[in-house]
Amino acid sequence: MSASARPEVVVDGFPRRRPRWIEVATSADHKDVGRVMIGAALGFLFIALVEFLLMRLQLAVPENSLLTPVTFNRMLSLYGATAIFLFAIPFALGLFYYLAPLQIGARGTALPRLGQLGLWLYLAGATVLYAGFLFTPSEAGVNPLAPLSELAFLPNNGVDAWAASCGLATLGFVLIAVNLLATMRRLRAPGMAWRRLPVFAWSAAICSWLLLAIGPVMLAAIAMLLIDRNFDGIFFADGSGGAPLLWAHLSWIFFTGAYMLILITALGAIAEIVPVFARRPLSGRGTVVGSLVAIAVIGTLAWMQNMLTAPIGIGWMYFAMIMSLALIVPFGLIVFNLIATIAGGAARMRAPLLFAAGAISMISIGLGAEIEHSMVAVAWRLHNTVDATAATHFALIGGGVFGGFAALHYWYPKLTGRTMGETLARASFWTMVAGTLLTFVPLFMAGGDHGQVVDAYKFFSGTGVSTENLIATIGAFVLATGILLTLVNAIASRTGGARAGHDHWGGDSLEWFTLSPPEPHNFDVLPDVRSDRPMRDIREAIAHSTRRAEQAREAQPVA
Amino acid sequence: MAPHSPGTDQIDTLLWIGFFIAAIVIVAVNGALIYALRRNRGAAPREMRGGRRIQLRVGGALAAFAAAVLVVSLIYTDKARETPASGAAGLASAKSTPLQISATGQQWLWRYDYPNEAFSYYKLVVPVDTTVELDLVSTDVIHTWDVPQLAPQRDAVPGKTNHVVFRADEEGDYRGQSATFSGQAYAAMRTEVEVVSPQAYKAFVARQKADIQAAQDRVVGLIENGEVP
Repeated sequence: MSASARPEVVVDGFPRRRPRWIEVATSADHKDVGRVMIGAALGFLFIALVEFLLMRLQLAVPENSLLTPVTFNRMLSLYGATAIFLFAIPFALGLFYYLAPLQIGARGTALPRLGQLGLWLYLAGATVLYAGFLFTPSEAGVNPLAPLSELAFLPNNGVDAWAASCGLATLGFVLIAVNLLATMRRLRAPGMAWRRLPVFAWSAAICSWLLLAIGPVMLAAIAMLLIDRNFDGIFFADGSGGAPLLWAHLSWIFFTGAYMLILITALGAIAEIVPVFARRPLSGRGTVVGSLVAIAVIGTLAWMQNMLTAPIGIGWMYFAMIMSLALIVPFGLIVFNLIATIAGGAARMRAPLLFAAGAISMISIGLGAEIEHSMVAVAWRLHNTVDATAATHFALIGGGVFGGFAALHYWYPKLTGRTMGETLARASFWTMVAGTLLTFVPLFMAGGDHGQVVDAYKFFSGTGVSTENLIATIGAFVLATGILLTLVNAIASRTGGARAGHDHWGGDSLEWFTLSPPEPHNFDVLPDVRSDRPMRDIREAIAHSTRRAEQAREAQPVA
Repeated sequence: MAPHSPGTDQIDTLLWIGFFIAAIVIVAVNGALIYALRRNRGAAPREMRGGRRIQLRVGGALAAFAAAVLVVSLIYTDKARETPASGAAGLASAKSTPLQISATGQQWLWRYDYPNEAFSYYKLVVPVDTTVELDLVSTDVIHTWDVPQLAPQRDAVPGKTNHVVFRADEEGDYRGQSATFSGQAYAAMRTEVEVVSPQAYKAFVARQKADIQAAQDRVVGLIENGEVP
């Protein structure tokens, strides 16, 4: 090291890397935002489960006094908000936000800060809901129907906390949807025409459009509720120009749309998983995508399905029924094509396919029961009974939890570079199947045969539903065990899972073209997309050039 | 729960039809799924895609199925909506027009107002074989009147009047429960319909009216005599 006169560039070095959690928390990268969302959503699944178990414990025996009525009502309200606003929707959006840009071959998102803001609004909403424990959580039920949610009937801050929380989260979802649509509109890889988009990316686009339609409806309803409660508004008060049914219409438009969103997400993921594990292309790809669009539109138009006992005209009830029954066609076509894909292929029974098949099965039970519930006269008997609770839970646990777990197992290697344990996955799956059936089949009976009403903190002995409720409570614990096994599997596999390749399952879409986990810029090179199975084209091209190289080597004269 | 009114008869029939439709759909989907999964395990995959024709056929079949469900449902729903005429054993004064009773939902009790200005809480007494029309109103939040054996569920919404019609075919007690979440004591908000002979009904409303009048007179008397400050 001589002290020569050579010029020397003096730098302070690269800025020191900040701790990992600060990097993730302040990152606007769609993969960081998506991962935080998925992780938070799974955390809230656990919390929703605890609330559900507490309610089921209270309903284990007739006239139980484990929980006071007020505590039960708070658990009910928290459970509803947590399961829908803090688990199911953000879990779907987290998956979309992580994967859709990869699937369309984008190096990032179009409006990254908007998506980051969306995540923060969701987390702020979650904080507000659970900060409610510092004063009082809402006691107004899953859907806080006006006028019960008005100041006159629930004067404490609970409903305000619910409204602020769900409002913040919904606004966040809408911002993420805006970014997803902008990204998918502007940043598709060369050749990635809409008709070549993977079905899951189509789901992302459909759900984003759906959120742009229903999100503002909920935000308007929540704004009116807050005005009513805090500024002497009269939107939902009868007799002074307002109408209690206004809240019912607006909120059911949102909740019905959210129900469809959860199912569209699950079916989109399943349509991605089934071809990979059946080792053949998806049957009727165009039909499946068209059906998903139809479900979003027709399904949301069926919102009055939830109001068949309200004083609305019989014509509107028939309208709701026609919309609900029309859903048989798109749902049926999707299920037909999924099963046809499995039947025509050669099934590799791995965890993602297992959960996907479970999701199809559970959704079919829920939607089969929904056919019955859409018949107007049947709804006059079953609508406000636990039979409806069971139907909804079959569809949404089938979609949100089974479908969500199928997606989690399938894309976990991409997210973390490791695989989830297969044995634990199987144990979790069968426990969950047993738990779901044990919990909700008895509720079909309690509601259908004996008219047990929804949302009640107790039932009376002598009404013939004691056995059903006891079995349902036992089933709830089995179901919870199954879900916990997968959550444990997901946590343990982050460091302990077997290392996964970059194209772990041999998928056909572009997310498998990146590293696992992907680099911040996603792709070093962007491929030219020439079909709806770009990764297969790439694999074939590589195989082809390898063969050519080998042939060329073999043709060399031996020295 | 056996139905005891013409309307709930229709609902019960449709309920069973719906149950079988749901059961068939569920069994068909799950059967096909299990068959598909068990078939060709480990066999070589085939490169093929579903043709357009099969999609149209399946879509058409599903649409026909949905239309059939719709028609059946419309037929039974329309029958369930019919206002039945009072029978021979019913109340004579309600032969041509239904007996009008008002039901008011209030947190957490039902109040019934009879045509002769008598009223009762919790228990509704109606004559057998007589068409009864309940006018459902609410003074506070939304409640649902649900006596499954006698009548379809109907919401009582503040500021609106909803109607429910039934004709009980047998004397007896029918249990009901309020079926829309209405706050703290929602689960305890029950009701009971006692179906009695027309004579017993007349006696009940007359006695109820006399008792209410007597209670009223006693209160007025106490105040006027200065026995209550």
